[in-house]
Amino acid sequence: MALSPFASRSPSLTVASPNSALRLKASAVPRSTGQAVAAKAQSNPERELTEQLNDDVRRKYTKGHFRDDPSSCVAIKKIKVNAEYKDGLTMDAIREVKYLQELSHRNVIALHDVFSSKDQNLNLVLEFLPGGDLEMLIKDGDIHYGVGDVKAWMGMLARGVWFCHENFVLHRDIKPNNLLIAADGEVKLADFGLARSFADPYLNMTHQVITRWYRPPELLFGAKQYSGAVDVWSMGMVFAELLLRVPLLAGMSDLDQISKICEAFGTPTEENWPGVTQLANYVTDKAVPLQGRDFFLRQFPTAGPVGADLLMSMCVLDPRKRATALQVLQHKWWTAEPRPTKNEDLPRKSGTKKMGDDLARRGGDNDDGPFKNAARQLDFGGMK
Amino acid sequence: MIEDDIYRTSSQFRLWSYTESSLKNLRTTTNNIASERVRAALRRARERHLSATPSATGTPQPGSDAEEKHIECLTPEEELVLVRYYCEKTVELGDTYRPPLPTNVRATAIQYLRRFYLTNSPMTYHPKSIMACALFVATKTDNYYMSLRSFAEGIPGDTTPDDVIAPEFLLMQGLRFTFDVRHPFRGLEGGVMELSAIAQGQGKPAPHLPQHTPESLKEGILNLAPPPVPVSSITDRIGRAHGATRELLKSAAQMTDAYFLYTPSQIWLAAFLIADRPLAEFYLDTKLGGPIDPTAMETDTSTLHNPLSELRTKLLKVLGDCAALLQSYTPLSSDPDQMKSLKRIAKKLYHCQNPEKVNLKRDTTAPRLMPAGDAGTVTSESETERLAKKRKLEMESKQRGGHDVFGPELVPDRTRH
Repeated sequence: MALSPFASRSPSLTVASPNSALRLKASAVPRSTGQAVAAKAQSNPERELTEQLNDDVRRKYTKGHFRDDPSSCVAIKKIKVNAEYKDGLTMDAIREVKYLQELSHRNVIALHDVFSSKDQNLNLVLEFLPGGDLEMLIKDGDIHYGVGDVKAWMGMLARGVWFCHENFVLHRDIKPNNLLIAADGEVKLADFGLARSFADPYLNMTHQVITRWYRPPELLFGAKQYSGAVDVWSMGMVFAELLLRVPLLAGMSDLDQISKICEAFGTPTEENWPGVTQLANYVTDKAVPLQGRDFFLRQFPTAGPVGADLLMSMCVLDPRKRATALQVLQHKWWTAEPRPTKNEDLPRKSGTKKMGDDLARRGGDNDDGPFKNAARQLDFGGMK
Repeated sequence: MIEDDIYRTSSQFRLWSYTESSLKNLRTTTNNIASERVRAALRRARERHLSATPSATGTPQPGSDAEEKHIECLTPEEELVLVRYYCEKTVELGDTYRPPLPTNVRATAIQYLRRFYLTNSPMTYHPKSIMACALFVATKTDNYYMSLRSFAEGIPGDTTPDDVIAPEFLLMQGLRFTFDVRHPFRGLEGGVMELSAIAQGQGKPAPHLPQHTPESLKEGILNLAPPPVPVSSITDRIGRAHGATRELLKSAAQMTDAYFLYTPSQIWLAAFLIADRPLAEFYLDTKLGGPIDPTAMETDTSTLHNPLSELRTKLLKVLGDCAALLQSYTPLSSDPDQMKSLKRIAKKLYHCQNPEKVNLKRDTTAPRLMPAGDAGTVTSESETERLAKKRKLEMESKQRGGHDVFGPELVPDRTRH
């Protein structure tokens, strides 16, 4: 079960109502034309909550287009004023708007505009991404893909992450179902509801971020000061999952996640990670020696030796020795054979099949994150 | 991609950077529109008052036209003084919390206020009511989250959580939904770290200046012209310059138009020049090379079109302008003359405050109380809000049709005037 172990995913989240024709009388450039296509409401009482930030946020998605170009497509995400949340606009909405306003890159979902409509609702005009997400592709047994495809997807992910870090933004929730796919096959980093800018040195940040399976050891150990290395670890996990087609480290709890990391890569100790024993939640049960290069070669034969090297550099336990997003981009794997697949040749999700899968997903596997649903909505729209 | 390109994609550059004249024009336009609305609102209030008084109905007051002309509105300059006062108050408010709110949060709140009042007038929305909300929104956007309740408790007086949060959406609209503010603080810290490394002989020479070595840089920093105040060591000197610059960035840089006119790095470098000119110039030289020696120019023609030296000349001009702006600032509270003029402005505002915008809480908690007949005219300066409000009122009047027995009769009545 993919229990999303943190905050802004609330059990009482009701994502849009399955109603019809919500017409926005929007004054801004984009105008809604289509129907409000509903994402299904999810309720998952098993989700752990560490803070209640996002109770009962009602969101609606609408398909729209630019007034001067009816063939264009945008997704309009409506954030309703939350009557339950008394402290004004919620944190995840603020984070999302704040960072997407600043980040403009091919591999980061574009926020075209924000406008207000009646009753003080906030409407985000987002890039239309009808291609689903990487998780759908990974899970779809009918889709076959090779290392060239993985290289293309990882390349796009790495460029998006590098750009965020270059702008001093930590994403803090990288996982396959936050990596959306555009109509032309381009991968876009989405869901900035947990993003924040780098803290100044010595200032604390919360360690309760990143979905558990993709969470690096320093956060599991409760580090309050961390860097872009947290996102690089998540990228490494996505890389491994793309190769294996199952999550590499699917811990059942935070403790289980730590032991899975130890089993896979070795136990963090003062020798391989100076200072690790000083972290607040440092625990180990058994001492597993640090895994060497041969482990990665054995475990990920499809990546080839150079690819295994790259993956290994992203999965270094000590965040200070882990590769940075820039170092990832500079790795020689990208220029080694095989070349990354061209976007137009990348495997796509198949429409009808995909939609069924989507509905059959277990609640726990689902992310209720905003863009996730935006993307799903687009599937439904295509089916009409 | 260079840093400048990245900065140009920021909302601070795209939406919140101006030239001196465009800034002035924008403020004048805002002031004009707001003044007209204030006059119109006061006229409507008087008409309502007259029609409510039986003796006055049907007999137009001969003096009313003259009276209307006497509504004296604030000038753009007066508005600016008022906003600045509340920016200074924001710093004080941040100090009342235990622990005090971080500098970044306060600076963000101040810039929110300054941005908001580019397109909104204090005559429409009193800064007193916007100030607390701006500070609260800044705690949310700058990762210093506290609950609204504990935030409101920290405000002296009897401000309720509802008072704080009421103008939130309005404020966010005024900010055009951009929450990111690029401050000069981080750049200063980086520069100070570089200088400290140089002083310890660990400086990293710029790759385009091969003549520099860690040793030559260290020698250079140790042999600078003396600082404005005597110091015991180079570490002491850097520390003092750091502190003095930071103070300028916390005060003058916040209270003037610096953020609208200059980039964060221009602002901190200008403040650094004020704090310790020789040290700041040395720092620039480590990046741009020193000034061109006129004798060398005769012998070596290549230096004639040295792009770095052209850049240096241009940059020093900009930094000089920015430094002059920062130095023009004196805190209102420390200057009796300014305080006197502020009191006059506050008094004047009392008479030209838009009466229809006084209770902001109506907008969120009880919007139905808004008189629908004023829908077309009573709006803020921002076009989006105008349209949003219009839609809201249309919807309300529709809803009211069935529910509120007092609503429907009054509305057509009032529009007839």
